[in-house]
Amino acid sequence: MTTFDLVAPATPDEAIALLRADGSGEVLVLAGGTDLLFDLEGGRAAPRRVLSLRHLPWATLDWNGTSLTIGSTLSLRALENDPDVRARLPGLYAAVRAVGSVALRHRATLGGNLGRSAPASDLVPILLALDAEVDLVGPHGERTLSVDRFVLGSRQTALSPGELIRSVRIPEPRPSAYLWQRVRPFHDISHMAVAVAYSPAHSRWRVAVSGFPPRPLLVPEAEEALDGPVPNERAIGRAAESVARHAPIVADRRASEEYRRHIVRPLLVRAVRAAASLPEVR
Amino acid sequence: MTPESLRLTVNEAARVLDDVPSGERLLDTLRWRLGLKGTKEGCRTGSCGACTVLVDGKPTLACLTLTHEVDGTSVTTIEGVGSDRVGAKVRAAFQTAGALQCGYCTPGFVMALTGLLKERGRTIPLSELLEDLGGNLCRCTGYVSIVRAASMALAEAP
Repeated sequence: MTTFDLVAPATPDEAIALLRADGSGEVLVLAGGTDLLFDLEGGRAAPRRVLSLRHLPWATLDWNGTSLTIGSTLSLRALENDPDVRARLPGLYAAVRAVGSVALRHRATLGGNLGRSAPASDLVPILLALDAEVDLVGPHGERTLSVDRFVLGSRQTALSPGELIRSVRIPEPRPSAYLWQRVRPFHDISHMAVAVAYSPAHSRWRVAVSGFPPRPLLVPEAEEALDGPVPNERAIGRAAESVARHAPIVADRRASEEYRRHIVRPLLVRAVRAAASLPEVR
Repeated sequence: MTPESLRLTVNEAARVLDDVPSGERLLDTLRWRLGLKGTKEGCRTGSCGACTVLVDGKPTLACLTLTHEVDGTSVTTIEGVGSDRVGAKVRAAFQTAGALQCGYCTPGFVMALTGLLKERGRTIPLSELLEDLGGNLCRCTGYVSIVRAASMALAEAP
């Protein structure tokens, strides 16, 4: 068993001070632990200290008019159980339910998923499509980054030394959808996934893809093919061609590039149709 | 450094545990420190659901939970599930449906189903209940009788 110093500070200031006092790589942040413990067990991580966020007051969910602020340590199950999330952000609801199992989601958090930044994250693509922002707190105060600027690569984020993710903000409810392709439907890693959302405020679509390294990405070329809240069949078809051609898809041990480019088309078509409340195509 | 002693309520009994290493998982605390061998170790990576217990009523993977992280909570394992109103019904449904073959996955299934029914009651549609049991695997593939047990337990849920 790995040994480390486990600390659970009572306040954000105390947490930041503790985090800052340690050299980088020496201290790891623990939220729900469902991903981190996997690395600790396998010896892939051997921190001197683990800083638990369990006492911080960040397990919150606040609808403020149209915007939603999700505290970084709120469990994914609590997020999924909010009736407004299900009704007003259907893509986020679907993406949360794509993560692990119910028992895993009772501990896993949105902050943890972003902070660990796995290349096949089911949550990052929908956060990109929803134009979500990440609120950070650190030794030099607070700052906010778009998810697109926060996630830098596989297991890489824009977090500076001493910084913590406090919350994630979603600006508005959006018709949205998240669809994935996997070996097993439940509790598996998506090897190709598509998130789409239509912004009523900006009258534009967002399209993001995930499942391959190094990180989930927006595909602007596919977004441009779609227009209006209910795009026609030709526009959806053009967007599907565009995502298959322009998304920087690569092969890894879970799927080939060819297969991913093939499967991303129907995923995109079905996701846009679901978000636009069009009937399913058989 | 080993953190100070921790307090757990396990199957309604208050326990004070000293000298629990920082890296110890709830699964190992239950099985080896407290001798509650009903909770099973399957994959130890959070993929199979065999180690599911309730922490403050919520289904939790004991293999992916540090014991110190659940300091102060109430833990229910398969050994204590009979004292829970919903848990007793779930256990009875598994018995009536004969929902086990080798039995290794059974404690995890019973705890997961108990947690789901405590959370959602009988309002949860059967299809969603079964979807939400997707994190529990039965290597004997005895799913037909497990599904039967789940629908029986749902029908009798408070």
